[in-house]
Amino acid sequence: MTTLTVNGTEYPLDLADPRVTLLDALRDRLDLTGTKKGCDQGACGACTVLCDGRRILACLTLAAQCDGREITTIEGLESHPLQDAFVRHDAFQCGYCTSGQIMSAVALLGENRAGTDADIREYMSGNLCRCGAYSNIVAAVREVARHA
Amino acid sequence: MTTIQQPRILGAGVDRVDGPLKVTGQARYPNDVNLPGMAYAAVVRSTIPSGRITRMDTTAAEKSPGVLEVITHENADHLGEAPATFIKNPQPPLQDDAIRFYGQYIAVVVADTQQNATAAAGLIEVEYERHEAILDPHDPRAERIKDPWGEDTAWGDVRTALNRAPVMIDQTYTTSENTNNPLGLFTTLASWDGDTLTLHDSNQWPNMIQQVVAAMFGLPRDAVRVLTPFVGGGFGAGLRCWSHIPLAVMAARHVGRPVKLELTRPEMFTGLGHRTSSINWIRLGATRDGRLTAIEHESLTTLPLDGDEYEPCSSVSTWSYASPNVTARDQQVRLNIPWTNFMRAPGDAQGNFALESAIDELAWEVGLDPLEIRLLNYAEVDPKTGRPWSSNALRRCLEVGAQRFGWSNRNPEIGSMRDGHELVGYGVAGVSFFWYQQPCSAKVIVRGDGSAYVRSAVTDIGTGTYTIMAQLAAGLLGLEVDQVEMQLGDSSMPVGTAAGGSGLTAALGSAVHDACGRLIQKFVDLAGTDPFSPLANVPFEDVAVSEGRLFRKGDPTRGESLARILAVHGLTELSADGNSTPNSPDQLGMTPAGARGARFVEVRVDEDLGRVRVARIVTVNDGGRILNEKLARSQILGGTVGGVGMALFEDTVTDKDTGRIANATFGDYLIPVNADIPDVHVEFVGEPDAFNPIGVKGIGEIGLVGVAPAIANGIFHATGKRIRSLPITMDEVMD
Repeated sequence: MTTLTVNGTEYPLDLADPRVTLLDALRDRLDLTGTKKGCDQGACGACTVLCDGRRILACLTLAAQCDGREITTIEGLESHPLQDAFVRHDAFQCGYCTSGQIMSAVALLGENRAGTDADIREYMSGNLCRCGAYSNIVAAVREVARHA
Repeated sequence: MTTIQQPRILGAGVDRVDGPLKVTGQARYPNDVNLPGMAYAAVVRSTIPSGRITRMDTTAAEKSPGVLEVITHENADHLGEAPATFIKNPQPPLQDDAIRFYGQYIAVVVADTQQNATAAAGLIEVEYERHEAILDPHDPRAERIKDPWGEDTAWGDVRTALNRAPVMIDQTYTTSENTNNPLGLFTTLASWDGDTLTLHDSNQWPNMIQQVVAAMFGLPRDAVRVLTPFVGGGFGAGLRCWSHIPLAVMAARHVGRPVKLELTRPEMFTGLGHRTSSINWIRLGATRDGRLTAIEHESLTTLPLDGDEYEPCSSVSTWSYASPNVTARDQQVRLNIPWTNFMRAPGDAQGNFALESAIDELAWEVGLDPLEIRLLNYAEVDPKTGRPWSSNALRRCLEVGAQRFGWSNRNPEIGSMRDGHELVGYGVAGVSFFWYQQPCSAKVIVRGDGSAYVRSAVTDIGTGTYTIMAQLAAGLLGLEVDQVEMQLGDSSMPVGTAAGGSGLTAALGSAVHDACGRLIQKFVDLAGTDPFSPLANVPFEDVAVSEGRLFRKGDPTRGESLARILAVHGLTELSADGNSTPNSPDQLGMTPAGARGARFVEVRVDEDLGRVRVARIVTVNDGGRILNEKLARSQILGGTVGGVGMALFEDTVTDKDTGRIANATFGDYLIPVNADIPDVHVEFVGEPDAFNPIGVKGIGEIGLVGVAPAIANGIFHATGKRIRSLPITMDEVMD
């Protein structure tokens, strides 16, 4: 038995199949489907979650690697100002990349890498948005960074 | 009464009503749905582009852990023909041994977990008889289809006009294959309950999926329910019933359990179509002062062996500029390739790149400012019929855009605007987008508490349909936006059209408009039967609505709330159905004009490396009445990003020997990332359009169009290099 700690709750998980990624464990086993699968190849950022406070790609992380670590997903945010800012700045359209964008942005603020628009653009570039909401994502992150 | 009562609700930047669900991870996309007892499917795809399967060995796959079923053409259900909807749908998969393109589905494996299904799919052995594939559009053996839609157009005498023209531009412009790549992996979760079927499915048109699946499986339409309340983008990819959908349905029937089939990113490149490459031959004739005398535009685009596609690239040349002599012709060529399909601004995006590049070349040829030449040749009326436009603010788009951009600061000399090691170029393009609308229906219901809800089977692919329709209904019923609940994305609701062709807002909006008008009429009639009602004997025309109350125009005290009217008559709710069909140009005596726009781009080209950077963009658009400026701006921003992708990055590369798409991942197929997108100024001009009762023009696609030629034209200004093929790459700039 592996124990996954997600958003402060411990989930015992039978990982007889070691191929299960953290992403599939969250979505298929724990029904925490806020974390999205956009490529399953570590290229789009939709599955970004926090592991011990650092942003990681859940599709490139085996669930078994997360034994004893603290995972935070979009469902674990408690009315983070970024969520409100994303709505007000219309920083998404279809909404599919949004969980990953927000989790990346949460980490970005912690990393002190949201000082300038250029920084925000650069350090948010691991999260693809095919609807093209990039300018509004920058506006939302900028606003929260300035008020942090 | 059927006018929009509360303009303050429209136009305002109301936040997306589904926003809170999307920022908390609570919006359930089709692949987020998990059902009890659900099994997982994985597909197997062909590894040759043409031929037939001679042997398949599924033994190892069947014995693999957790496997419930393996389906190939040898044990697949025989399915019925897939009907054409707006265009053709792929015929049912696994019905024979023929291979028509690399990546065609040849088997589906069902297992207890995704890991087991995927692993077993890799164990299937396939032997083929290979046939020679036709992969090159220029291959003389390929079937060519002339005038595929009977829409080739000609007026005047282009030949003579070109022969006599003092100035002529004669050039070829090409665009690459692009792949839609919505971020959401298209998924079908099929669940049978006796003879009824429920699908949680990624698409842009639930009623279309319902119709096609019902036909293939021999079911009455009502026995199939398609649920798509949210979808992770589409950009055209969800406008056909793709083959993975019947595969999932078949698999669920075989195993007697719900089956989820989620495509992988590489499968998204072969399974959902892609934007066709295009070759555009353009000849412009003009006077020495830059006035067009002739436009000849021919295009060649591609088709799969057994599909169709509507991609009239040349048509933009029939409505964009005034010219007394025009010929527009399209051809298609059939190849052993995955399906070509609609992608944001099909035909228009490629054709506009060609036309707006050619117009720019003409400007340089005659020594005219590229902005001036577009204003000079502006089409005051529909050049084909001479009819007035339903509205057309292209001139205003160009003028306002030029002002916001600072076009007057442009030094017209090539390579004259330098900033350090970067050459600066200014580029402009005009856009005239097609018009499209289909019939649609909706139901609007007012509840006993005075709140309302709106139902339609259409889906919101991220464009904001939930929000703008709530605003529209609120405006028409005199309610606040938060008093209107939207219920969309369910095929069992009133029949809806596609979220495509930039046509949904006019279609659904007109249906909601119709339903709200009928509903108010019902309330007025009801009040009229109550002798004590303040509205008794007040004719419908004299009734206004505001703050949930009906009242006599000019006398707000004489009225009654919707809730009270229901209560007086012992009703819990009152509803009305609304329908819309497009108006007839003949009846209205005008040509419906799609959206119009202008793009102004500053590009910076690294002199040593040839690297092209887009430094800023001004995009001004005429979208008729704008229902929500915040969301409309997002549509244009998103289109702009797509346009930058088309211009500089996107290229679906097919290996010319095997027909395999060689870059079918997000690591290899490049789309713009955040750092690629500069400051974008978005502005709307124009007036409510006369062609539909709510005055809108679709704006979902136009934002993309014109960005690529504006960038190419800017690169010419910066470097003197005229690049006539997309995407524009560093080697071409350096060449």
